[in-house]
Amino acid sequence: MDFLAEGFRRALALLFSGDAEVYGIALLTLKIGIISTALACGLGIPLGFVLATRPFWGRRAALTVVNTALAFPTVVLGLLLYALLSRRGPLGAAGWLYTWQAIALGDVLLALPIAAALAAAAVQGVDPRIRRTAETLGAGRWRTAWTVAREARFALAAVITTAFGHVVAEIGSAMTVGGNIRGQTRTLTTAVALYTSQGDFGLALALGLILLLLALLVNVALQALQGRGHA
Amino acid sequence: MLELIDVRHEYDGRVVLQLERFAVPTGAAIAVVGPNGSGKSTLLRLLALLERPTQGRVLHDGAVVTPGGAARRRVTLVEQRPILFRATVRENLEFGLQVRGIGRAEVNRRVEDAAARLGITQLLGRRRHELSDGEVQRVAVARALAVEPDVLLLDEPVSSADRAAALTLYRALAEERARRPLAVCLASHQLEDAYRWADDVRALADGRLSPVTPENLFRVELVATGSGELKHACVGTVEIAAMTDKTGPAILAVPPTDIFVSREPLASSARNTFQGRVTSLTRRRRGGEGGGGAVYVTADVGVELIAVITEEAVRDLALAPGGPVVFSFKASAVRVF
Repeated sequence: MDFLAEGFRRALALLFSGDAEVYGIALLTLKIGIISTALACGLGIPLGFVLATRPFWGRRAALTVVNTALAFPTVVLGLLLYALLSRRGPLGAAGWLYTWQAIALGDVLLALPIAAALAAAAVQGVDPRIRRTAETLGAGRWRTAWTVAREARFALAAVITTAFGHVVAEIGSAMTVGGNIRGQTRTLTTAVALYTSQGDFGLALALGLILLLLALLVNVALQALQGRGHA
Repeated sequence: MLELIDVRHEYDGRVVLQLERFAVPTGAAIAVVGPNGSGKSTLLRLLALLERPTQGRVLHDGAVVTPGGAARRRVTLVEQRPILFRATVRENLEFGLQVRGIGRAEVNRRVEDAAARLGITQLLGRRRHELSDGEVQRVAVARALAVEPDVLLLDEPVSSADRAAALTLYRALAEERARRPLAVCLASHQLEDAYRWADDVRALADGRLSPVTPENLFRVELVATGSGELKHACVGTVEIAAMTDKTGPAILAVPPTDIFVSREPLASSARNTFQGRVTSLTRRRRGGEGGGGAVYVTADVGVELIAVITEEAVRDLALAPGGPVVFSFKASAVRVF
């Protein structure tokens, strides 16, 4: 127990002392998290909308693919991305391997099916009368879609939270394509894994607490936004 | 003029509506009556251009129109159980005006006007969870009237309303129709309301326009009783005899003009004789059908039946609400389809 208590003391000391390395890792994680969540949700939510509302050939197959992708192992995703981004791979010329951009790309691919599947479920959960009412009052396709999205805004906010949570907690792909390079591609999860293996439990715990704090802050922010709109 | 021509509509391969022609002329007041599942709501959704018929055409002023086209802005539907957007009542009323790009001042004027006519001005600041079902229905009608459509389609508009709210609604519709050539097509299972304000009452049964008048329509299970074409069907607490070669599920209609009304049971060939009490006597206007002097006698004889007799007959029989009455009609007068 002393070991655990010592770990917590060290963690709090690092947090409140403004340790540059700790905050550097946290800020990089936040940057990657925000960018990849924005991209994944920016693409995934409209995709989910289309899957939920537009009848087209192969829609059922597309939904199956998206739902299957939810369970895609992140290490395998990292491996495939590594093959694509490595010097001999088709995207090797971009020079992204072992950069934060590679981690962000992996996170987008991870969160995209999550955003699409949850958004489809959220939109399907909206009362069909909302869509008909918007249409009969003269709304066009985009305004109708926006109206349906507004009705599903609480569920769609949950989509963003879930995507962000998955992105910042992901380690398999970040480790493989990021390389856990100090000061460059070291994220909270890869750093926690490294410092734990090195026996620096206090530092690992401090980073773990920041990770939790990030998730908490995002949730609180989204709940505050949701609180503005009553039923 | 909004028209359905040779329309056939299916859900999962089942035909729910089949109409050779159904027209809503400019400025008309039409009531569509029929039992639950007769296709009224489907008819309104097709007229509202919310669904494309499986077969057939929808015409607006003679031109073929489709869902998603500009004509949809000329027709507005208020569903049987309308839903309000997650917003204030005012924002709900503004919705259709904003999508049309109408200026702020005009939006405010129309919202205030529609709210006043439906008696919901005091509700403008409320949100949907703060309203009763009846209030939601009035807000939905105000929201539809605010966009000033050419055709207003109402699906059971007074199903959640009390009597006063229903009268407010009908008064608002009358005022709007007096102001401009608004066509209203209303689906209802309440004949009283249909006749109160409609110029034209049409009956739907099993997705088809009924060849008989809309009174006394029943969905039944016809049972053979072993004597040729004479079949029986339970309706309410009574059993109606009908001459038909059909058995099983059917729509049964008793034309109100074929019912003999008396104070005492008649010695006659009528297979159907039911005693009961008069519930109402209504002098109805039937536009273009020469209904002058006709009185609709509604009686509870174990089931509610309506008979049409003359004003003189009402006087001779001394019929009055609550008083005894006997309805008789022949098995061959009963229409089965």
